[in-house]
Amino acid sequence: MASQNRDPAMPDVRAKPATTISNLNSKESHSVTKRLQQELMALMMCGDKGISAFPDGDNLFKWVGTIHGAQSTVYEGLTYKLSLEFPCAYPYQAPVVKFQTPCFHPNVDQSGNICLDILKEKWAASYDVRSILLSIQSLLGEPNNESPLNVQAADMWIDQTAYRKILHEKYETEVKSRN
Amino acid sequence: MASTSESEGQKEGDDPEDANKSNPSQDGTFECNICLDTAHDAVVSMCGHLFCWPCLHQWLETRPNRQTCPVCKAGISKEKVVPLYGRGNAKQEDPRTKVPPRPQGQRTEPENNGPFQSFNWGGDGGFQMSFGIGAFPFGLFASTVNLGGPRLPGAQPGTPQFEEEQFLSKLFLWVAILFIFWLLVA
Repeated sequence: MASQNRDPAMPDVRAKPATTISNLNSKESHSVTKRLQQELMALMMCGDKGISAFPDGDNLFKWVGTIHGAQSTVYEGLTYKLSLEFPCAYPYQAPVVKFQTPCFHPNVDQSGNICLDILKEKWAASYDVRSILLSIQSLLGEPNNESPLNVQAADMWIDQTAYRKILHEKYETEVKSRN
Repeated sequence: MASTSESEGQKEGDDPEDANKSNPSQDGTFECNICLDTAHDAVVSMCGHLFCWPCLHQWLETRPNRQTCPVCKAGISKEKVVPLYGRGNAKQEDPRTKVPPRPQGQRTEPENNGPFQSFNWGGDGGFQMSFGIGAFPFGLFASTVNLGGPRLPGAQPGTPQFEEEQFLSKLFLWVAILFIFWLLVA
């Protein structure tokens, strides 16, 4: 019996069955597509004023959104286009949202990157394109000047009249010149 | 560019193929807050928000350090969700018992205090045994009894766990002896 003690062929009763890593990639991507289609439907049905979004071409994972500056803010009358790129792990991961139209704003940098908590650490799976665009729309009128990406804009924000003048001048030169 | 009317663009745009599969309930009362579809294997959080169990499970897996409700950011946990059972569903099993789809395979929990920890007794007691009927050329029946094998640092003498291990060790020794005896007789 003792000679059997160290039988290397003896199965180890403690060994746990190997966890099977199932490949669910196709199913995952299907569920992401389904959710994005649901969002598109909802966006088209609700008809929110001031925001809209639509897939960029055939790719459902890349959308173009449009935000109109909210009334009674300095951004009133200005229209901004944004790009939304959805990761495969959407909605468990936030989409990458960037301003395509140059935007003079304390929380938007030169390349259009947006500093917004719900797009980073405060992201939740229940947010959708609509809530993102509405949040960005309200961010335009209510910037967070504590942690600015555009320091010049943050410093100028106090003087709304001057800010509005600069903002519209920049918009005219940067946006209109593109068309 | 910025002045193009997007609302026109939307109406003229090609509808996705699945667009005709519109949701029957426009109010969205029983839709999962994550997949936005009718909740299947539905669970409801203590804060009252409805999810598909696979969706919520994946959300909790994505944020192991910050277990919050995706809707209201209240603290939630896997244990504190209520499964919802509708009428007419024959198999009313807890949706949480199903293994939900996960992208990165299974994540082992750092502290495992589950009820299956006692499965370790074989090794900790220094006693391993296996019976088998094999096709290996050297034996039709194989029986291995392992006494005093490589001991892992087991329970301290005197503790209830030590007593239990001793008991199990003796019990299985007797089972092994009986089995060998039976093999000899038969």
